[in-house]
Amino acid sequence: MISEPALDRLSAMFQGPDVTGTRYELISVLGRGGMGVVYLARDTVLDREVALKIGERPSDEANEARILARLEHPGIVPVHDFGELPDGRLFYAMKRVRGDRLDRWMATERDLGERLGVFLRVCETVAFAHAHGVIHRDLKPENVMVGEFGEVLVLDWGIARELQNSEGKSQISGTPDYMAPEQARGDAAVDHRADVFALGAMLESIASSAPVLAIARKAHSAEAAARYQDVQALAADVSRFLAGRAVEAHRERLVDRLARFGRRYRLPILLVLTYLVVRLLFLWIMRS
Amino acid sequence: MAAFPATRHSIVAAMRSARPDERRSAFDALVTAYWKPVFKYVRLKWHASPEDAADLTQAFFLRAFEKDFFAGFDSSRARFRTFLRTCLDGFVANARKADARLKRGGAVTLIPIDFGEAERELRHQAGNLVDDFDAYFHREWLRSLFACAADRLRDACAARGRADRYAVFEQYDLAPEEGDRPTYAELARRLGLSATDVTNELAAARREFRRLVLEALREQCASDEEFEAESRALTG
Amino acid sequence: MKRVMFATLLGGFLGIFDGLTSWFTPAVRDQLAGIVIGSTVKGLVAGVLIGAFATRVRSLVWVLIFGVAVSGFFAYLVAAMQGKYYLEIITPGALVGLIVGYAAYRHQS
Repeated sequence: MISEPALDRLSAMFQGPDVTGTRYELISVLGRGGMGVVYLARDTVLDREVALKIGERPSDEANEARILARLEHPGIVPVHDFGELPDGRLFYAMKRVRGDRLDRWMATERDLGERLGVFLRVCETVAFAHAHGVIHRDLKPENVMVGEFGEVLVLDWGIARELQNSEGKSQISGTPDYMAPEQARGDAAVDHRADVFALGAMLESIASSAPVLAIARKAHSAEAAARYQDVQALAADVSRFLAGRAVEAHRERLVDRLARFGRRYRLPILLVLTYLVVRLLFLWIMRS
Repeated sequence: MAAFPATRHSIVAAMRSARPDERRSAFDALVTAYWKPVFKYVRLKWHASPEDAADLTQAFFLRAFEKDFFAGFDSSRARFRTFLRTCLDGFVANARKADARLKRGGAVTLIPIDFGEAERELRHQAGNLVDDFDAYFHREWLRSLFACAADRLRDACAARGRADRYAVFEQYDLAPEEGDRPTYAELARRLGLSATDVTNELAAARREFRRLVLEALREQCASDEEFEAESRALTG
Repeated sequence: MKRVMFATLLGGFLGIFDGLTSWFTPAVRDQLAGIVIGSTVKGLVAGVLIGAFATRVRSLVWVLIFGVAVSGFFAYLVAAMQGKYYLEIITPGALVGLIVGYAAYRHQS
């Protein structure tokens, strides 16, 4: 008799692409991106779980795999393997990331500091890619994973482009809410500031205080020239906010400035006040 | 298990054949494919005892053959499986109402069926609480389909002197529990093969298995369109 | 600015301030100049020591303890010279040491 687990296993054999002949066995679907499906799979040689991305069209995976393999950074998923299925589709195997997608992670109770911390790590990763001539072009919370040990990874570089490879009018791809206007129009001159736009949109969804919203709006400007000119500048402003210093994007009122000053120098102010209180107390005692 | 004559693609179409021997062959193949799901379904949905379920199952198929139940099947309107189940429900409901003694034997006999085996399987399946009988029937039918293909695979491998190939498939992909599955290295050791051989034999067995499943599925479908739809549902 | 310099200046400044507050005590008002000078010197010396300590020891807790101890000690000497108002002199003095210690620790030199 075919048991329940065996029945599931055999059904799975029909439900996915044919990976016979490779060293991988498909286990389940992890997610579907615009450019292919990501499966949880088992590497039968090394006996470990991997994420297997199988492309709809042959050229997709080659491009993505090549880009990923070149970018070695803690925030970018390492590529383990690359190959071709019997039906001609290409696949690549990457590290299996355990954790939450950023949109789900944000939905849980987190204070602003924690969220901004994660956001800064995303910025770091994107800045690294930019420094190596790669723009992501599809940044959004669904493409960021927060691992179980706090590691932050930017995924789905499927439509990433190398800056020097952008030929003529680029294909319109990306996710509408997070797509920079120049990208939506299909301009040839899409550069790394498109990623700044997307990061601004992401930040807006996190922001709850005025200075952060101001930063987000600046990054999210429709005009590329009005945004932060690179990711580092955006990250620097966010860092300033976290350090309790004034933020470039936000004009403070005097009362805001005083409040910020008070928050930043809480302890020294407290000490000085304590001293004054004690002094005055003793003076009063000594008088009477 | 009776292999279906290669000249015909579809059991259901063959059951409308003018030739009695073709009709009979087709009918046997149909019973083989469906008796287990029918039995289990009657047991669970209609709360029949094992003996009653066995009687009802046999009577249902006999009546279906005699009265040509499936002649009215229109593949554009429903899946054959759903159609059969509807006929079955109707049949059992009437039989219960009439409370008549079920006719057995007579002019037609069925192929030999081991209801005991089905009953044992039923006992094995933990928690027989089913809320979706449609899904349950589908799953049991799928189980029968895979079992049929696995049997054919075994026979084919034996005929070609490739018992190892089936052994690898059986121990790896038909292992009852996840914990029972050996690693490739284990399999290699057990069967005296190299690890590469294991990978290759398993890949070949799976390819063959897939082909056999699709072949068996094709036999059960009344038309190409139905087969397309069914195989798409299977392949997800 | 180096940490020692910063702590010294701060100590001196607070010392002046601390000394000036004794104006509110009529009994000692006529000795104000002396008190202020003494308090300033006390603040400068304590500042040097606390600054040096904070440069060597990177532990906030220890720097604070040291600050309290040093300033408190000097304040004790002052009180001992007069023979009275021990608590009233030592307590604020120790607090000043706490402030200088904290500021010295946090200062980026």
